[in-house]
Amino acid sequence: MNIIVCVKQILDPDLPPAKFRVDEQSKRVIPPEGIPFVMNPYDEQALELALRLKEKNGGKIIILSAGGQEALSSIKHALSLGADDGFALSDEAFDGSDSFSVAYILSCAIKKIGNYDLVLCGRQAADWDEGLTGPLVAHRLGIPVINLVREIELSNDKLRFTRVISGGEQVFDVAAPALATVTNEAPQPRLPTGWGIIAANRKQIAVWNAGDIGADVSLVGGRARRRKLTGLFVTERNRSCEFIGGENVLEAADKLAQRLNQLGAIR
Amino acid sequence: MQVFDAIVVGAGPAGSACAYSLAKEGLEVLVVERGSFAGAKNTWGGAFYGPVLTNLLPDFWQEAPVERPIFQHRYSFLSGESCLSVDYTGPRFKSRPYNGFTMFRAKFDAWFASKAQQAGAIIATGLQADDVLKNGGRISGIRAGGDELPARVVVACDGVNSILAQKAGLRGELLPGDVKQGVKEVLEFPPGEVARRFNLFDGGGIDWEFIGDCTRGLPGGAFIYTNKESLSVGVVVGLKSLVETGIRADDLLEDFKRHPAVAGLIEGGRLVEYSAHLIPVSGLGMMPRRLYADGFLVAGDAAALVLGTGLALEGANFAVSSGIAAAQAVLKATKESDFSAKTLCYYQKLLEESFVLKDLKTHQKAPHFLENRRIYSLYPKLACELADSVFTSDGKPRKRTWKLLREKMKGRVSFYRMARDLIEAARAL
Ligand SMILES: Cc1cc2nc3c(=O)[nH]c(=O)nc-3n(C[C@H](O)[C@H](O)[C@H](O)COP(=O)(O)OP(=O)(O)OC[C@H]3O[C@@H](n4cnc5c(N)ncnc54)[C@H](O)[C@@H]3O)c2cc1C
Repeated sequence: MNIIVCVKQILDPDLPPAKFRVDEQSKRVIPPEGIPFVMNPYDEQALELALRLKEKNGGKIIILSAGGQEALSSIKHALSLGADDGFALSDEAFDGSDSFSVAYILSCAIKKIGNYDLVLCGRQAADWDEGLTGPLVAHRLGIPVINLVREIELSNDKLRFTRVISGGEQVFDVAAPALATVTNEAPQPRLPTGWGIIAANRKQIAVWNAGDIGADVSLVGGRARRRKLTGLFVTERNRSCEFIGGENVLEAADKLAQRLNQLGAIR
Repeated sequence: MQVFDAIVVGAGPAGSACAYSLAKEGLEVLVVERGSFAGAKNTWGGAFYGPVLTNLLPDFWQEAPVERPIFQHRYSFLSGESCLSVDYTGPRFKSRPYNGFTMFRAKFDAWFASKAQQAGAIIATGLQADDVLKNGGRISGIRAGGDELPARVVVACDGVNSILAQKAGLRGELLPGDVKQGVKEVLEFPPGEVARRFNLFDGGGIDWEFIGDCTRGLPGGAFIYTNKESLSVGVVVGLKSLVETGIRADDLLEDFKRHPAVAGLIEGGRLVEYSAHLIPVSGLGMMPRRLYADGFLVAGDAAALVLGTGLALEGANFAVSSGIAAAQAVLKATKESDFSAKTLCYYQKLLEESFVLKDLKTHQKAPHFLENRRIYSLYPKLACELADSVFTSDGKPRKRTWKLLREKMKGRVSFYRMARDLIEAARAL
C-alpha cells in the first residue's frame, strides 16, 4: 500500500501568545527568533497511522511538505520515524499561498507521484486551524475524503476508516484511493530511534518547484488569494489587582459588589 | 551493523570543532545532539575570543553569524546607586583579526555544525545520548534513542553536566560549589538604537562586566554585551551561594536591570529571549584527572575547561581548542589502529602544551580567590565611596586621597587584610 502523508511545519503551538508579534502591514506573524518550528501535531498523528498501516500491510510512505527550509526539517523528522521518501515543494511563486493554493500545490505533487492508495493529512494545522487543506486536496484529486479519522485498517481490499463523532464513532469502507484527515483521538506519535535519525540524515530530500510538479503559477502565491485578510490580532489580556476594603465586612462586601457591577462582572 | 569511526556527543563549540576536524580528514563521524537543531537550547554571555576559530576556519567571521566585533572592554563596580568604571579600547581590537565577537549560540552553533556537516559528518539532531556502551573495559559506542550505536571512539562534548563522562567513570556528579548559574535576557531595540545608546562606531561592540551590588555580595557578576540590534544582559552567580542564601538569580537580574547605571540604557528593550545555564568555574580543581579512557575522550565544558578569572569568562574558545585537540588524538589513534588510553592520552598532552591547560594552570588560584566575599561587597563599596569623595566639590577643605581611603577602611578592613587580598589577586589573576 502506498501512502502519501502531507505535513506542515508550524510555530510551536505551546508558545505563549506574548512570543508572537503581528506585522500590522502585511498581516503576518513574525516568528520569534531562535525558536524552532515543529511538525503540526495532527500531521504527526497522521504519520503514525501511516506507519502502523505500513508495519501491518507493507508498502511505502511518501512525505510531502510545501514550504522552504522549515519543510525540510519536518520531512527529515518524518523520515527518521520511518517514512521512505520525502519531497519538499518549494518555489518563490508559492510564497504567500493560502490553503486553496497549498491544496492545489499538494495535489499537483500527488498527481506526479501517481501511484498511491491513501493520502493522509492532519485534521487541521494547529497554527491557523482552518482545516481546509485535506478536503481541498481530495476535491482536486477527485477522490473520496473522510475527516476526523482515528483509525485506519485494510479490510478485504477496502480501506476501513473509523471516524470520531460526538459520543460515538462511524466506520466507513472506501475503495482506494482515498484521503483522510486525522484527528487527535488517533494514537500518539512515536519517538524516533537512533538509527532512524541517522538514516534520515543520510537521505537527500528532493525539492520540487512549480515546473517539476506542473503547477500553474497563476493559481498559487499571494496573488491567487481570493480572500483578503484585513485583521489579525493577538488577544490582549490585562491583569490588574485592586484592594477593596471597608470599615467592616458588610461594607467591604457592599463596595466589592458595587465595583464588580461597575466592571460589568455582575449585574 | 555499522561502526562509526567516531561518535561525537553534543554539537556545541567543542563537538562541532572536533567533528569538523575529523570529517575533514575523511573519517566517518556521527554527531549526536539532543536539541532539535545545534544551538537550540544553548546559551552563553557571550563573546567568542581569540584566534582558535580563525585558525580552524580562516576569516570565519565573514561567513559566520557574528553580531559585533568587540572594540571595547568595560569593568564597573556597583554600589548602591553608584557606579565606578574602567574602560579600555585600543587600535588592536578594532582591526583584523578581531580579538572577539559577540554572537548568539542558536545561530553560531547551527552554523558551526553545518560546517562539520559540509565536511562530511552526520549531524543527528533531536537525539540524546543516554549511556556509553562498554565492551570489556573499553567504551565501544553509545546508547541513544533506544539503539546501540557502535564507534571506535566516543568524544564526549556534552557540556557542563556531561552524563557521558560520568558514565565512563571519568568524573563524578557536579557539585554546586563548582558551578556558577548564569541567567540572561536578550532585549531587542529598533535599528540603530543600540549603537546610539552605547556610542558604538563602525559596527564594533562592547563587553561590559559588572561586579558588586548586582549580586548582593555573592560571588559572581553581571554583564551587558552589545549585539547588532539587541543587548544580552545577565548575571552569573555561584550556585552554592544561591542555594545557601535562597536568593534567586532571576531576582538579581531584575535588580541589576533597575540599577541607575543600567536602567536608562536598556529602557524600552523588548524581551525576546530568556535563558539559563550552568558554568563550570572551578578550573583544575574540578577537571577530571584523566580526560581519556579506552575508546573515550572528553572535551569542552564536559571536562570543565573554562577560564573564569573574574576579569575573563572564556569557555567557548577553550571548548573549540579542546575539540580540535581531541580530533588530533583520534586521528593519531586511527592511524595507529589503537584506540586504547595508551594512544588517546596524546589528547591530554596536546592540551598541556596549549593555552587550554596552561591558562588554567596560570590561573589555578583564581577559583579560590574569587570566593572572597570582600571582592563583591566591601571593595566595590570602598571604590565607589572613594570616587564619590574625590570627585565631590562641596566647598569644604579637601583631603588627600590616601587619607580618605584610610578613613573609609576604618573598622571595615585592615591594611594587612587588604594588602593580602591584593597580593592574592596578583597571584591568582
Ligand atoms: C551565562 C553564560 C555566559 C557565558 N559567557 C561566555 C563568554 O562570553 N565567552 C565564552 O567564551 N564562554 C562563555 N560561556 C561559557 C561557554 O558557553 C561554554 O564554555 C561553551 O559553550 C562550552 O562549549 P561545549 O561545546 O563544551 O558545551 P556546550 O556549549 O554546553 O554544548 C554541549 C552540547 O551538547 C548537547 N548535549 C548535552 N548532553 C547531551 C546528550 N546526552 N546527548 C546529546 N547531546 C547532548 C547540548 O545540547 C549542547 O548542544 C558562558 C556560559 C554561560 C552559561
